[in-house]
Amino acid sequence: MKPNSIIRLMMVSVIATVAASISACTPVAAWERGTLARPEMALDADPLETTLNNHIYFSKEASSGGNSASGGGCGCN
Amino acid sequence: MKSHTLLALTASAMALPGIASLAKADAAPTESTLSYRASTYQEDDLPAIHRLAGSVERYDIDVHQLRLLMPVGETYSLTVNSSYESMSGASPWYAVRRIDGSPGIVMSGATISEQRRDLNVSGRKYLTNGAVGINLAVSHENDYDSISGGFDGERHFNDNLTTLAAGLSYSSDEIDPSDPELFNRVTDETKHSESVFMSVSQILNQTSVIQTGLNITHLSGYLSDPYKLNDKRPDSRTQTSWTTSWRKYITRADAALHADYRYFHDSFGINSHTIDLNWYQNIGANFQLIPGVRYYSQTEADFFTPTLNFTGTLPFQSTDYRLSAYGAVSGSLKLQWQIHDFTLSLAAERYHSNADYAFSDGPQSPALVSFNRYSFGLDFQF
Repeated sequence: MKPNSIIRLMMVSVIATVAASISACTPVAAWERGTLARPEMALDADPLETTLNNHIYFSKEASSGGNSASGGGCGCN
Repeated sequence: MKSHTLLALTASAMALPGIASLAKADAAPTESTLSYRASTYQEDDLPAIHRLAGSVERYDIDVHQLRLLMPVGETYSLTVNSSYESMSGASPWYAVRRIDGSPGIVMSGATISEQRRDLNVSGRKYLTNGAVGINLAVSHENDYDSISGGFDGERHFNDNLTTLAAGLSYSSDEIDPSDPELFNRVTDETKHSESVFMSVSQILNQTSVIQTGLNITHLSGYLSDPYKLNDKRPDSRTQTSWTTSWRKYITRADAALHADYRYFHDSFGINSHTIDLNWYQNIGANFQLIPGVRYYSQTEADFFTPTLNFTGTLPFQSTDYRLSAYGAVSGSLKLQWQIHDFTLSLAAERYHSNADYAFSDGPQSPALVSFNRYSFGLDFQF
């Protein structure tokens, strides 16, 4: 299987899984949210590592940006 | 697990924009967290077959990061991030067409040595059904200074199952390259950026949450690379990225799946896709193993050229490999160990880029970079 085919398969899998989850959206009472408060369920489980990764990828790739307003620049890109 | 740890975990989740208060009503963190990370990464040497002149030894970079998150009163929090980065090695200067038609890379000397320091301070106020935050940051290098600021807010709806968030930021950068006369480089250039984002987060059920958002950034001013020969880029650039993140806890495995996707488009003509998958596997009460894979693919910028055109007829051109068509795959592994109030972490990543990994065909650069990264981390809650 070619790399592009693998990637397309990964994308379709991710999209299909998320779509399946959305369709299964159910009301969750406040006392039923203990699992969602676990650290490994955080959208950003390690802010320092995320900062470093974003900085490294920003310096090696042409893309940047995510679910936050962009911070200051650096001379690396 | 200790009871105060659960509080800290909850506070940690609460402190994150987007997911904050998805799990319960917003609250400031109840404990302080001091975190340190030491990381080093080495770029692979440029293959000798592509080198025309200069050193093949690319950058070695060390990074030290410090972060303090602390509650201030009952409804505020303060976060201070600081980092120190030192780098040495060579980087591609320009590419020319060789007799056989292939591009030859002229590297800079191996004597480049730089340091960067940055400081980022943010404050957050937690409200009954949302939160607002403000952020200021400075970054200093011997040839580059940046100052930025921004604010954001979030509001919860639908019995706290849904969160809308939005934010704005602005940065002003000054560029003053070293040895301008020796290499005929620009002096005292400036760059500005304005950025806006908005996102929506939704609790799907007791074990999964999703967030999707849009980020638009406009840059203006000097956007070329002063350290690359004849690098001429447009003086404005608009970037748009759409990001979707999904978190799913798998009870049977006592693990969480993180799936992230980003689509990026900019006015340079670059389109990219990024997929990031990480598996947070709990092992007993105190260990966590986190394997991850990331795939990235981009098209080339409209003005990217594999080799320099010296006729002066092109309004814009760049041989920067970061503007070429390529893809990159990386694999990572991280181990976390919790000991009382401390958490130790060790992480390693291999990042490999190749033009053949790209989604689409396009002009390629032989100067693509691959690297190994290693990190050590320590977190202390008090």
